[in-house]
Amino acid sequence: MKRFMKLTGVLATSVLLAGNAFAADVKFAWYASTVHPYFDEVQTGVDKFSEDFGIEVTKRLGQDWTQDNQNENVTAMAAQGFTSFSIFPSDVAGAKGLYEELAEQGITIVDFGQPTQQPTPASFFVGTQLKRAAMVATEELIKSMGGKGNIVNVLEVPGEATRRRSEGVEEVVDSYPDVYIIQTVGNLSTIEDSVEKVENAIAANIGKIDGIIATGYTPTVAIAQLLTEYHQSGGKRIHFIGIDTDEVVMDAIREGHIDGTMAQNPFGHGYIPMVLLKHMADGYTPIKGTHNIDAGVLAVTKDNLDSYQDDIAAMTKTIVEELTTKYLEKK
Amino acid sequence: MQALNKHLKKALSGGDAGIILSALSLVVIFAVASDSFLTQYNIFNLTRTQSLYIFVALSQAVMLVTGNMNLSVGAIAGLTAVIFGYAIEVLGLPLPLALAAAMTVAMAAGWFNGFVMTKLGVNSFIVTLSTLFIFTGLVYGISEGYSYRGIPKDFVSLGRGNFLGLPYLFYLMVATLAAVWYMFKYTVFGRQLLATGSNQEAAELSGINTHRVIMGANLLSAFFAAMGGLLWVSRLGTAQPAIGQNWLIISFAVAIIGGTALNGGKLTAIGLFGGGLIMVLIKNGLILVQANVYFEQAFLGSIILLTILLNRWREVASKKGKSS
Repeated sequence: MKRFMKLTGVLATSVLLAGNAFAADVKFAWYASTVHPYFDEVQTGVDKFSEDFGIEVTKRLGQDWTQDNQNENVTAMAAQGFTSFSIFPSDVAGAKGLYEELAEQGITIVDFGQPTQQPTPASFFVGTQLKRAAMVATEELIKSMGGKGNIVNVLEVPGEATRRRSEGVEEVVDSYPDVYIIQTVGNLSTIEDSVEKVENAIAANIGKIDGIIATGYTPTVAIAQLLTEYHQSGGKRIHFIGIDTDEVVMDAIREGHIDGTMAQNPFGHGYIPMVLLKHMADGYTPIKGTHNIDAGVLAVTKDNLDSYQDDIAAMTKTIVEELTTKYLEKK
Repeated sequence: MQALNKHLKKALSGGDAGIILSALSLVVIFAVASDSFLTQYNIFNLTRTQSLYIFVALSQAVMLVTGNMNLSVGAIAGLTAVIFGYAIEVLGLPLPLALAAAMTVAMAAGWFNGFVMTKLGVNSFIVTLSTLFIFTGLVYGISEGYSYRGIPKDFVSLGRGNFLGLPYLFYLMVATLAAVWYMFKYTVFGRQLLATGSNQEAAELSGINTHRVIMGANLLSAFFAAMGGLLWVSRLGTAQPAIGQNWLIISFAVAIIGGTALNGGKLTAIGLFGGGLIMVLIKNGLILVQANVYFEQAFLGSIILLTILLNRWREVASKKGKSS
């Protein structure tokens, strides 16, 4: 992280020295649905952007995950004169209505975390490519299982993101003739629900499960705890790959109860959109055909538990360096 | 022997018998449908989850019995968990002090609900809807969404350990239900709770201080919510701010399936036991038979409704049989 801070400082200085300055009436804002550890990490990227570029960014969190709540709060911010927004859309379809209203007022928007459905007024989406991340995770799980066996697929609440993740898992499993999904557990929104349903799934397939894959944060935390208890009480080894780097999950990897997790790049989800917004305020425009910017994802296992953050930092540096060549142009 | 039979008959009043029968029917159905149902692992998890559900249900049932409700039960549980986790990990308090701190905050929450209901005369729905937001805000304000991990192993063993194959939580649940049964059967406070719920005006006219009774119910509700929150921490091994998020529906569903009257005046410990069992059986069974994950909520709701309707039909049929 320190290495990345230094690198971004160098990058920021070079951008500033290039002599571009945006209009004084440009105001930057960042908005996320509600309190969540993921957004805390994203905010560190936003804060670093402010520090590196000397640009104030007003950050707001909503009160709940509903699109209605987001609409109320963001339109209020727009009324206060904010012109450049980095937003986590609460509902990928519902947010488009909000974005259209904002775009009519000349406001620039970049999605982070999850993309609004196309066509969208958002200039870019910065986040994890969900299907690709799920595919990488599934490959890791199957590798840990020795290339064969039975998997339980654990999903969060039904929705666009869950559907993409599930597609990624199924696509990879289909390519391995000796690997089977024996049960899919879904509709998991709370920790208690996740624990109960996964427990039930283990009971339903006792002795037959070789691996579990979870592509959502809450189920991952629940399963990390569940498998820690299960293995400690002598249960047969069940391999597991989850997502995100909650400390509970990292502890379970460290202690050997689970195989690993997929680290996203929440810092990048915060930093990169703000740099994009700054460049667009400087007069850059999106290159036609570009929209999604993959902030990167990395498998974290016992082997790279203490060093994965450096790799994530390097990914972010590369993306920021490429923004004005790969994604933006100035006419 | 006759006295025992008489007590058993009384204990298993018509409504309770129906609930227990429904639960047993589900046991038979799922045992036949899945060979994993009666495994040691499944029984252990079923009874452990049932135990946790009972505390959730009790936190609501003690309010329902007075003709009121508590929408903030989950938020109180979450607040208790967070205070406990904060006390352990951030303040470094020893386990007993951390538990005391958490319970104190929970009881203060319950007292606040009771105060606004009784002294300020605000309807329980409105009070607890407001405090649901207040307490949830406190949960996230204190924890910022992060969970606390330094939970002492002794405490975690309560939620994970077992005796004779059944979880420690199961024995705790049975003891708690026995205490609740005793309270409603043999204590003045218990009878006053029932009287207040049956007809508050009549209770007042007969000399019962119903405000004090409702305050007591709020304190009890907070106590059970806090117990449930702490037991979930023990079960999970971490104090998660998300604990209690899905409690609202469960607290009503288990209490009502268990025969607690929505408009007050009725609660049985055996009914609650059966209600908790039915709830976990349905959810467990749906996974065991691999019900379609996208239609799962529809199946869950339908089976709950069917169970309640069958029980209601049985009660009506039984009453008709007695009157003829």
